[in-house]
Amino acid sequence: MSRYIATRAIRGAQGMVREAEEAVNAALVELGPDAPVAFTNTAYYLPVIYAFTGEKVEKLGDLPAIIERAKNLLHPVPSNNMWLPYLGETLDSGIATLFAEEAMEGARFARGTEPQVIKLDHARADGARFTGGDLGVHGDKMKLNGPIDDIQLRAWGIQLVDGRMPGFCAIVGCAKSNEVAVKIVRELQSRGILIFLSGNVNGRSIIHQLQEEGIQLGYDTFTVPFGIDTISAVYALGFAARSALTFGGMDAGNARKIMLYNKYRVFAFVLALGEVDDLKYATAAGAISFGFPTIADTRIPQILPTGVTTYEHVVSMPFDEIPGADDMERTEKLIQRCMEVRGVKVKIAKVPIPVSYGSAFEGERIRKDIMYAEFGGKRSNAFEFLRMKPADEVEDGKITVSGTDIDGMEEGGALPLGMVVDVSGRKMQTDFEPILERQFHYFINGVEGIQHNGQRDIAWTRISKSTFGKGFRLEHFGKVIHARIHEVFGNIVDKVQVHLTTDQAEVDELIEVARVAYAERNERIANLTDESVDTFYSCLLCQSFAPNHVCVINPERVGLCGAYNWLDCKASYEINPTGPNQPVAKGLVIDAEKGEFSGPNEYIYQNSNQAVERVTLYSIMEAPLTSCGCFEAIMVLVPEANGFMIVSREDPSMTPCGMTFSTLAGTAGGGMQTPGMMGMGKYYLTSKKFISADGGMKRIVWLSSNLRESMRPALQEVCEREGMPDLLDKIADETVATTVEDLLPFLEEKGHPALTMDPLF
Amino acid sequence: MALSGLQIYKLLPQTNCKECGFPTCLAFAMKLAQKGTELDKCPYVSDDARTALDAASAPPIKLATIGAGDRAFGVGNETVMYRHEKTFVHQPGLVVRVKSDAADLADVAARVAGYSVERVGMTLTLDGLAVEDAGGRAAAYAAAVAAARAAAPGLPLVLMSADAAAIDAALAGGAAAEKPLIHAATAANWQAMAEVAKKHACPLVIKVADGDLDGLLELSGQVRGAGVEDLVLDPGATTLAGELAAATQLRRLALKKGARELGYPLVAVAAAPTWQAELVRATQAVGKYAGVIILDHFEPAMLYSLLTLRQNIYTDPQKPIQMEPKLYEIGSPTADSPVLITTNFSLTYFSVAGEVEGAGIPTWLLVADSDGQSVLTGWAAGKFDAEKIAKTVKGSGIENMVGHKKLVIPGHVAGLSGEVEEELPEWKIMVGPRDAVDIPNYIKNVWGA
Amino acid sequence: MTPVEIPVEKWSGAVREVTLGSSYGGGTRGSTVSVGGETALPFLGFEGAMPHRPAIAVEVQDMHPADWSAELQAAWGDAMDDAATWAQKAVEAGADLIALKLRSCHPDQGDGSCEDAVRTVERVLAAVPVPLIVYGPGSADKDNEVLVAVAEKTKGEQLALGLCEDKNYRTIVAAALGNGHAVIAQTPIDVNLAKQLNILISDMGLPLERVLMDPNTGALGYGLEYTYSVMERLRLAALMGDSMTQQPMICTAGEEAWRQKEGRAEGDVPEAWGALAERGVAWEISTATTLLESGADILVLRHPASVSAMRDALDDLTKGA
Repeated sequence: MSRYIATRAIRGAQGMVREAEEAVNAALVELGPDAPVAFTNTAYYLPVIYAFTGEKVEKLGDLPAIIERAKNLLHPVPSNNMWLPYLGETLDSGIATLFAEEAMEGARFARGTEPQVIKLDHARADGARFTGGDLGVHGDKMKLNGPIDDIQLRAWGIQLVDGRMPGFCAIVGCAKSNEVAVKIVRELQSRGILIFLSGNVNGRSIIHQLQEEGIQLGYDTFTVPFGIDTISAVYALGFAARSALTFGGMDAGNARKIMLYNKYRVFAFVLALGEVDDLKYATAAGAISFGFPTIADTRIPQILPTGVTTYEHVVSMPFDEIPGADDMERTEKLIQRCMEVRGVKVKIAKVPIPVSYGSAFEGERIRKDIMYAEFGGKRSNAFEFLRMKPADEVEDGKITVSGTDIDGMEEGGALPLGMVVDVSGRKMQTDFEPILERQFHYFINGVEGIQHNGQRDIAWTRISKSTFGKGFRLEHFGKVIHARIHEVFGNIVDKVQVHLTTDQAEVDELIEVARVAYAERNERIANLTDESVDTFYSCLLCQSFAPNHVCVINPERVGLCGAYNWLDCKASYEINPTGPNQPVAKGLVIDAEKGEFSGPNEYIYQNSNQAVERVTLYSIMEAPLTSCGCFEAIMVLVPEANGFMIVSREDPSMTPCGMTFSTLAGTAGGGMQTPGMMGMGKYYLTSKKFISADGGMKRIVWLSSNLRESMRPALQEVCEREGMPDLLDKIADETVATTVEDLLPFLEEKGHPALTMDPLF
Repeated sequence: MALSGLQIYKLLPQTNCKECGFPTCLAFAMKLAQKGTELDKCPYVSDDARTALDAASAPPIKLATIGAGDRAFGVGNETVMYRHEKTFVHQPGLVVRVKSDAADLADVAARVAGYSVERVGMTLTLDGLAVEDAGGRAAAYAAAVAAARAAAPGLPLVLMSADAAAIDAALAGGAAAEKPLIHAATAANWQAMAEVAKKHACPLVIKVADGDLDGLLELSGQVRGAGVEDLVLDPGATTLAGELAAATQLRRLALKKGARELGYPLVAVAAAPTWQAELVRATQAVGKYAGVIILDHFEPAMLYSLLTLRQNIYTDPQKPIQMEPKLYEIGSPTADSPVLITTNFSLTYFSVAGEVEGAGIPTWLLVADSDGQSVLTGWAAGKFDAEKIAKTVKGSGIENMVGHKKLVIPGHVAGLSGEVEEELPEWKIMVGPRDAVDIPNYIKNVWGA
Repeated sequence: MTPVEIPVEKWSGAVREVTLGSSYGGGTRGSTVSVGGETALPFLGFEGAMPHRPAIAVEVQDMHPADWSAELQAAWGDAMDDAATWAQKAVEAGADLIALKLRSCHPDQGDGSCEDAVRTVERVLAAVPVPLIVYGPGSADKDNEVLVAVAEKTKGEQLALGLCEDKNYRTIVAAALGNGHAVIAQTPIDVNLAKQLNILISDMGLPLERVLMDPNTGALGYGLEYTYSVMERLRLAALMGDSMTQQPMICTAGEEAWRQKEGRAEGDVPEAWGALAERGVAWEISTATTLLESGADILVLRHPASVSAMRDALDDLTKGA
């Protein structure tokens, strides 16, 4: 916490409380203690006070007690040589300020001086009502809105709660120019963000600015003028407090819950325009208690560490120092930064391209005769590459194209294509890069008239004549990627920019950069071990048909369906925290060799309807994982051979254990734990933890030939790692043995190691 | 405690002699663990192993076979409380009761024997006739039973009388060969009934009143002491709540407490004054553990409901019902009606058929053979691919039924559209919605557009 | 002879209680309906409590449902022309609550306005003293619009608003939150999806004491066994203490049973099916009974004869409890 800010906020609070006390006392003398105090059409009294304290202020005589409460929250200004965190003092001062401001507004309502009437420089000709209630402009007078009434609170509150309205912005002060003021409002409106206006700088408010530019203000335009002083900004917090009471089911007086509700559910922030005085600091401190950060367009000390708010507390972006060609561009960046600081998510309703988009187009084939152009394949090289970047290096929605565009190509032509996608996000991790990148195939295939194959540096895209004819160009690939990443990965990605190039030299250069990254990724996954993490993940997707089945997925074992590895599950959990993949703490090591841990045991017991009590991850002899029904292959003990055999789903043959794949699946499947049998994903074979407690690869005496052949290079590597380069050919398959009687002589002849290993049981 | 396949394997000879019919001892052991075969199939099992295995493998609820010949049915041998745990195995017999002095006895018997209804490719029938002694002389009862047998040859019988002499007369009159179920031995008549059951080697119901399980346990001991082993239990509760409690307790005692004395199938007398009330009772009995259900009303709508329910509840959750793969007509489709294709997983079929039926849209519904898997699972397993879709279309004769060539494939396999188009070049492949519930809207707004 | 030791399961969890209807704080109901609270499997009085007898709701639509089975049309007659009259007849027939479906607001069914919908709800509220379940027309956008309007105008009545689905629940939950109503969360026959939606709804701040779950009913012969087993699993999980499965369950047995061929077809079906007059009701009764025994806390029915049969069944099932 900045000592400077603490000092200013505490001083501001002291001043505000003093001022409120004077105003209340004066009103009491003038109107007496029974004079009614009420905001417009609300059942929540003075809402911040009511929400935080449960006190129902209904008359002037109720206010002195509130002033006392505010005073009790005041602290002395920190001395120059004292360096303490100050956070508590600052937040207390913020709350004291809000109480005092609301009490002040209450006194004004008692006097009839609220909502405010301001004088305009220019009389408006229409003089028509342009905002809710009896507000409006009459001649050169304009009556401001004051607090939001309960009816409007409900209408907007529902939208804030259900997510249709992404958040609200309380603007306090005055913009650099009228033009900037209008641009700020337009930028916020285009994102569906509700805007509250208050405050001034040297008597001039953003309300004046917008009024002069003829901008419609009021409920209908989601742009509500509260008042031209900072005090009226308290109405924004009253609105937030009432949201929590109405939609959060909170009880008045439960301050902590109300503040947390706002932090996690109401995406609001303060935009301070122009000089920040003591009262603004003090009011901003009040907003921080709600979890609402402040972004200032002037140079002020920042409070970046997160804590009370989700991300930064106070951010300074001196307007003239924002990089940009002109004030308009600077404004765009300012608002973009606001979105990031508060974590407001971008929503793109429709993919903005000239042809249809949807999963119905995923399977389209673009044959030669209807193709306009292609990228990648036999005639050119192409690649796709997604990388994580720091937030300040990514400009959301920026799409750049270099080289010849599609309309510069001849019909039936081919060009190289490089697509580099930069993303940033506070919850993004390098490990998620390949997961996002893998989705490009589906994202791009959703475009009508586009066929996409492959990934990484074997990507191959075709575009149809008709889609080209409707105006589809390279930049639209970028728009698709941008929109879909936000839609699917909004939980982890904040910003996306895309660069496309058909320039051969640039493609050749960038493809090498991408290849280095691809290699690093392969390396990283290969080096990820069970010991290096403290969390595994679960998968409960198959419980719909195998009620007691629980997959535990560790870094060194892919799920038995082959579709989910540990990283996929980790990302899936970040994207959908209530979904089928949940973290499973590893817990205490019960048996390191067999892979038994307290965390998975507890998780499995709870989530298998208490049917399975323990699991040994590295052994199938005692308590193997349960098997659902979608395993790629199944492994079973061959007691006669002192080893195991593995049958793939594609292999229909009889096997030495006397059971075919489907009989085996019927025996072990359905969520049962069957010692000696287990479903598995085929890449589990290449893991160092592959039944490591039972002897690993050396125990495999029989393997469906299609598995061996399709995975030969990877399996050969495993054999070499195990120190037996010729092991793979000592393993039988269905061409040499479909009975145990045929199997044993084969193994004897080849000298299979399993025959002389320790007995399995 | 049930043994795992591996534990059983350790107790077997491990010679792979194949005389049990399985290629390896391990395969046999795995099947034993699933209670899918019997230890007796192994000629070489040692006595020690047999003792250990018998204890673990004897079914906790004994099987009772009622009737003889083609229509005989077995009940019991259940191993779970809830069907999702594994499956229920022996569906309850549905038996209609007539009084021995009823004028239409022969007529009812013939109708019960002849009732049948088709559902998802299966023929569902009733299982038996119960002849209830109207009182009077034993000979009269025997005559009534003989009349019923004549009217419904081969139909399993339940002989219901408190009078052992009447039962004896009926059995002696020829019914014994058909192994009817005798209902019932009670505290009052058990000696005589047990003697009759033993003499004729017929299964016997032991009956108490008001769910008195203590009484039932005592009676079980007495009757078994008298040499009758094939028992069926009638806890005699009179309310739905009482029946449910008794049936649940008996199943738990058998499965969880290993109470062999009470490890027998149950009979539920579901009879009630109205068929509606009877349907409720019988519905409960189907789900909650009855082996034999006795009804009083020959009301086809009720019987059809119960047969359908029984089929539903006794479907193995791991092996869902498969629809016959073929062209289905929903409503009365014409040459202009839409053509949809889906898989032969019954629930998939019902969802799709239900939506178009409910929306009143006549439709040609092609059902492909996906081995009973849903669209996504079938697709993932390669059982519902472009080739299968094309084969189904070509083999169905649909091209002669419609004037258009538009085929709607499920939205979940949108990715197949290009391949299907290549397989079926003369057809326009349209991608339908992912969820069945959106089909009516799709047909209205997209298909026709 | 030693007496039989009755095996009793010791459950650690219980189903949550949900109350619909209110007579104060804006509520005008003459009766309220509480469901849930079970500490044992359905109707097993010997091992735990079922403090509230399951309730029967009767489905009423805000327009004459011309596509309903002839049997249902005959049973309700002209009352179907007016939701308030229909609701009164339903209460006379034994309904504990009314399940009002605002079908006429559907874009394909006349696209009625929110004002009309609110008026209908208010008229039904005025006509009957029992609590209300209000279903939107079943089109996501319109559901949101209509249910928000209804929720606001009926603040305090403690309605149950439906349906919340994983793709569309936020607005309905928000409307319930702000106006003191409950919601119905529907998921497609799956334990984990049901749990997930309950989590999402409670994450929005709606107390779970205001959430009913609809595991999605399959009718007899049309997937009933799936619903049956999912409900048994949900209830077992609830009793074992899995918090997110502890919502009372609501099942639309009537709608599902009556939309199948068995509930509609007259003539041109095998004789063994019986006559439509008996068959439709039989289908509904058997579907409803099966669901009741697997844990349904509210049955939504359509035919008055089924209502009466299920009332009798509940009398018998709760005897001595």
